[in-house]
Amino acid sequence: MSEHNQSQPDASRPYDGVRVLELAEGISGPYAGRWLAALGADVVKVERTTGDPSRAFGPWPDDLPDDETSGLFLYLNGDKRSVTLNLDTSDGREILRELASSAEIVIESFEPGYLAERGLGYDELSKDHSSLVMISITPFGQTGPNANLPATELTLYAACGQMWLTGHPDRPPLKNGGSQPSYQAGLNAFAAISGAYYGAVMHEQGSYIDLSMRETYAAMAEAFHTRASQLGIETQRSGNNLNALWGVYEVSDGYGGICALPRNYPAFARAVGLPELQEERFADPGQRLLNNDELMAIMFGWFIGQTREGLLELGIENRVPFGFVASIEDLTNSEHLRSRDFFAEIDDERAGSLTYPGRLWLSSEHDWKMGRAPLLGEHNVEVIHGELGYEREDLVRLRELDAI
Amino acid sequence: MFDPGRPLTGVRVADLTMIWAGPYGAKILADQGAEVIKIESPRAWDNIRTLLPPPVAPGEHWWNTNFYFHEYSRNKKSLSLDLASDEGKAIFARLLTHCDVVIENYRTDVMDNLGLSYEWLKEQREDIIVVGMAGFGKTGPEKDAVGYGPIIEMMSGMTSTSGYGDDGVPYKSGISYGDPIAGICAAAAVATALLQRKRTGQGQYIDLAQREVMSTLLGEFYMDWSMNQRLPEHMGTGHDWMSPHNVYPCAGSDDWIAICVRTDGEWEGLKRAMGSPEWAERTEFSDQILRWEHRAELDELVGSWTSTMSKTDVFAALHAERIPSSPVWKMLEVIREPHIKARGFYEPLRHPEVGIWSVHGWLWRTDGAGPCILAPAPEFGQHNAEVLGGLLGLSDDEQAALEAGGVIASRPEGVPVASEMPATPSML
Repeated sequence: MSEHNQSQPDASRPYDGVRVLELAEGISGPYAGRWLAALGADVVKVERTTGDPSRAFGPWPDDLPDDETSGLFLYLNGDKRSVTLNLDTSDGREILRELASSAEIVIESFEPGYLAERGLGYDELSKDHSSLVMISITPFGQTGPNANLPATELTLYAACGQMWLTGHPDRPPLKNGGSQPSYQAGLNAFAAISGAYYGAVMHEQGSYIDLSMRETYAAMAEAFHTRASQLGIETQRSGNNLNALWGVYEVSDGYGGICALPRNYPAFARAVGLPELQEERFADPGQRLLNNDELMAIMFGWFIGQTREGLLELGIENRVPFGFVASIEDLTNSEHLRSRDFFAEIDDERAGSLTYPGRLWLSSEHDWKMGRAPLLGEHNVEVIHGELGYEREDLVRLRELDAI
Repeated sequence: MFDPGRPLTGVRVADLTMIWAGPYGAKILADQGAEVIKIESPRAWDNIRTLLPPPVAPGEHWWNTNFYFHEYSRNKKSLSLDLASDEGKAIFARLLTHCDVVIENYRTDVMDNLGLSYEWLKEQREDIIVVGMAGFGKTGPEKDAVGYGPIIEMMSGMTSTSGYGDDGVPYKSGISYGDPIAGICAAAAVATALLQRKRTGQGQYIDLAQREVMSTLLGEFYMDWSMNQRLPEHMGTGHDWMSPHNVYPCAGSDDWIAICVRTDGEWEGLKRAMGSPEWAERTEFSDQILRWEHRAELDELVGSWTSTMSKTDVFAALHAERIPSSPVWKMLEVIREPHIKARGFYEPLRHPEVGIWSVHGWLWRTDGAGPCILAPAPEFGQHNAEVLGGLLGLSDDEQAALEAGGVIASRPEGVPVASEMPATPSML
């Protein structure tokens, strides 16, 4: 057994001794696997022989593309072991079956039907392994007329209804920055896996989970889809200002904002200190929205005289929900976040010194391991020869057959 | 018989959460089979019950019927209990001996102010799991900052990454994105802590800062700052190497379709879908790099095709060629869209005072699971007798005395009069 499967479980790592087989590329599945690895799981990442395509996405140090230093890949794959397998070869499929029989959890993100066509679906993998938990993460789920429609971040954002709600009412709908359809699905997958695995431990029975990225994001439409279904009312996108006390405003050194509910109004009015805010047409919740434009004009004028840090301070002093639009630079340097050990600091041999979010929460009983990401196929010998017992000559044959 | 769709069956949760982030997380626990007891004081109840204007026919108990409240509280039980009173706190202490988890998303100081610190909770039940979801966490110089989802989004870096790109203005997303994200993470934290308790016998305290969870969704931007001291550009609906990659206007009112072409093969498919127009053969559109360089002109031309047709007709043509695309579905449309309907994502919710409407069901679908929604959101205090009498063994007289003393109640105090609520739903 390798160092990853100690006989004495490490009590400070909830997933210590749990083997996860990650057959997932891109962001969603690797994001979920990343946190399982940080909490002690032995995550064996099975990559196609050319590597997870996220290795070919930036950023790279000094903008020099290199499959071993993609920032996206390094962020999502810390503490995992990498094994390359070609699932279009019978040897590759056999090795995968052997790996799956030693795993408690399988995460996959192939197109619906891909694994089943190769004899590697949940029915096959769980045949003699009924406690296996397996999750499939795909854009539209495993069933339905669009199950096999290809998708991108943009088309998923449109499909789930979020894009309709985002952006300025007089301009086209807008997309959130980054890859939110993929990331939010990854977080949902982590929640799904942790719940299902707990159930499997308690009842010695596994499960198969079909997660649609589009559906997990559609579920976040808050009041808006349920207002449509109960009352038949459509919602228009409202840009940066849902109303005068709920939005983003320009301040003297950038952008700030407020999100105040009716109960926050008295404290808000005191903190801002403008006498007109005490007038009934604003102070009375029944009248406030009717005078929203006027209040918003006052707010534009007030915010531009504030600073970002000043707003946050004012909010803390008066318990008013003020904030500012923080940049990644602000966050990386944040004294608050550093005091909470939010960041992993890694000196990667190839990529240099890196600072990035290193955990989800703080616990009194466990902490988060943040190691480096594996090189492509770095653990082929350790896993296929050392743990599955293939001979060294087999490795040569497998390589020559393009199976690893 | 174990229901794999409800792996948290047998877990009991004391749910002190309010508004969005916490209730979203507790909803996931309830959907997964946990017995979630939503605890509200007769005087400090969950504002989400009355935040939005009431239904068309408000009815007498409109704090029980609001669509927004139901969104997050289906499958839960309701106990009204004043935790600020000594009597209420004593009952809560007894209830805790029957609970596995306490979850709260109060401002960072509230639990301690109520005398409900982790130490006190642990005294009532040694292996209790406590999840605190204060926006900025329980420690650090900014711990007392107050924030709902949109503030979390701004303070996490998320808002800084979004914008049209031509005006320098950062844009918030259309929802309180920080809230559901924190709630999903809280569900993962609870399951992880339950697993660890199964292994070690110990409970634990989890300090889950909503801002930090959201910030983990921006990994590549942190890396770019670390590697190259570069901040994200606002990309609008464009892309740094794909073209076409945008939202295009369609016939209809504010109707749009998102189209992305990733490969030369997909470009050929798009040309066929457009009926092979002559302009598409021009040299400047002949490969990916050229198309990206001429993207402004290409967007105009593709838009001139889409704008003559309905978004569903454009989508049908693109679907046939397997081009990544989707209409920008509106709220009234997404709930009836054929694919999502075929999968049964939205489920009917039945309420005696409102009738039937649909809410989303399973966030993820476990093989063999039945319907997600077993009950609508509970009425205020609906399970007082079940919890206080059934679980804790209080007599009817004792419960009546609690009600007379205002420690429990069957209706919340201080509910705004429905007819005086502003009827301006477009501004929420």
